[in-house]
Amino acid sequence: MAFDTFMFILMSGILLGGLYALMATGLAVVWTTLGVFNFAHGTFVMLGAYIAWQVTQSVAGGFGFMIAVVLSILVMFCLGFVLHFALIKPFERNQNVVLLAVISTLAAASIIENSVLLGWGPRDKQIAPPIGSKIDFFGASINTFDFVILGVALLTLFALAVFLRRTTMGRTLRAAAQNREAAELMGLNVPKLFAITLGISAATAALAGIFVGSLRFISPTFGADPLMKSLIVVILGGVARFTSPIYAAFVVGIAESFSAYFLGLYWSPALLFAMMIAVLLIKPEGLFGHRSKTL
Amino acid sequence: MTEPLLELRGLSGGYPPVSVFRDVDLSVNADEYVGFFGPNGHGKTTLLKTIAGLIDPWDGGIYFAGKRLNAEGTMRARVSHNFNYDLFRKRRINTRDVVDAGLIYVMQGNLLFPEMTVEEILDIAPRAARSRPGVAEMREQIHELFPRLRERWSSKIRYLSGGERQMVSIAAGLLAMPRLLMLDEPTLGLSPKLRIELSNAVRKIRETGVPLIIVDQNVEFLTSLVDRLILFDHGTITREIRAGDMPDHDQLMDMMFGGAH
Ligand SMILES: Nc1ncnc2c1ncn2[C@@H]1O[C@H](COP(=O)(O)OP(=O)(O)OP(=O)(O)O)[C@@H](O)[C@H]1O
Ligand SMILES: [Mg+2]
Repeated sequence: MAFDTFMFILMSGILLGGLYALMATGLAVVWTTLGVFNFAHGTFVMLGAYIAWQVTQSVAGGFGFMIAVVLSILVMFCLGFVLHFALIKPFERNQNVVLLAVISTLAAASIIENSVLLGWGPRDKQIAPPIGSKIDFFGASINTFDFVILGVALLTLFALAVFLRRTTMGRTLRAAAQNREAAELMGLNVPKLFAITLGISAATAALAGIFVGSLRFISPTFGADPLMKSLIVVILGGVARFTSPIYAAFVVGIAESFSAYFLGLYWSPALLFAMMIAVLLIKPEGLFGHRSKTL
Repeated sequence: MTEPLLELRGLSGGYPPVSVFRDVDLSVNADEYVGFFGPNGHGKTTLLKTIAGLIDPWDGGIYFAGKRLNAEGTMRARVSHNFNYDLFRKRRINTRDVVDAGLIYVMQGNLLFPEMTVEEILDIAPRAARSRPGVAEMREQIHELFPRLRERWSSKIRYLSGGERQMVSIAAGLLAMPRLLMLDEPTLGLSPKLRIELSNAVRKIRETGVPLIIVDQNVEFLTSLVDRLILFDHGTITREIRAGDMPDHDQLMDMMFGGAH
């Protein structure tokens, strides 16, 4: 294999990794805080992309990419915030809350997907990338925008980590995640903090969705792949630390990229699942940590 | 006569369908230290959790600083396999109202937030105080009360000893600027040395002017500290003892178990 091909595959893997990191962190934050897996996460990615696409269309005023990003993130934050009260809070006293939330979030995923299908139709759409140029990177020709995506994804994750660790607001979110009763005894409004968490998760999903939508075509069903990849990443990496799913995302992205080249596109999910099962057998708490649920 | 700071009238509660305490009447004045003593598992923690608003009271009233904290009337427990009553069941007491009023509960055996550092916890603790002033002075006092915490400032709670965790819990409770602080078994499982350190700190809290309700199994610790000792047995108050005639351990055992221990 030529070096430029190798670099090209590696770079696409790293780009995928950045996107997966963004998606999986949103899923992991909800899991560690609310204690449920959000199966509507993939449709959040998809809906975020559609909202951004709509904003850039001339019927909606033909706004620029940046405005589309900001609007989509805001709308998705609000949607996530509201959905906590519809999908998870009604069941939080139930001892089967994890199972009930699987079903309620799956239901939400189906409703969102079909609403998008009704509203925007089944035809593929693409968000025009704001930067079209390519640069030469160790012999491989890479889109400049890919570097922007990677940079913004990592910066967003860094900003989220700083928010959770350094700001009082972020600290109250972690407090509510770690000990609900003690947080209530501090006078914190735990349902609101949980809703904010789901909102943040939906907002990061939207950002990832917009990036995916400017790289590939979007359709109402494209949320399934981000959901599956996020689940694989979270299970593979574990959630012992904020960074565990991020490392795992790059492992998955690079593995997927190379397996797509050597084994073909159809084999890469099989390879990822095989990796996941192997990790579950050998190190059930995930590759990058030894505790199960922290933030 | 001034009106009491905290007043319980005929308070009952438990974990439905199990009733844990019944018809508890109590009033605590604004300058009082009140101790609770009773056998394990007889409902002291459940009573305090109810007052703090973590569990719904079944019946009776909780009044704090002249305001009623819980809903009027008796709780109707409705359980159905066909309908999720949680959907529109209203809480009969709201923890945030209790905290806002200045009634702060420090939990028994509190793990607090295992992955947060002492500094982070003491940073968010004053959120409970909302508009009550004096947080800055209280921070100073906390450093004097618990000098040990300063050495552990950036350790996670997970890595602290039981006594140090208890200190963080009490410090966080004090930073909420309580008008009444409820401590649930602060000396549980502590070594004698730590217990002395902690009881000295609790004694000093009095100088900050914060009244206390304190539940403990250690008779010497309690009797040396409180103005009034309340014996709690099988979910009710069986006896109240004033500061003048505090019993020692053996006398107390006689009172509680009629010498049959
Ligand atoms: N979450 C719960 N659900 C159901 N029952 C509970 C729960 N917590 C405690 N109980 C029961 O309520 C009763 C009273 O317990 P509680 O913790 O209030 O006692 P306590 O007087 O504080 O005891 P200790 O001195 O051991 O702290 C016990 O019989 C206990 O088994
Ligand atoms: Mg107790």
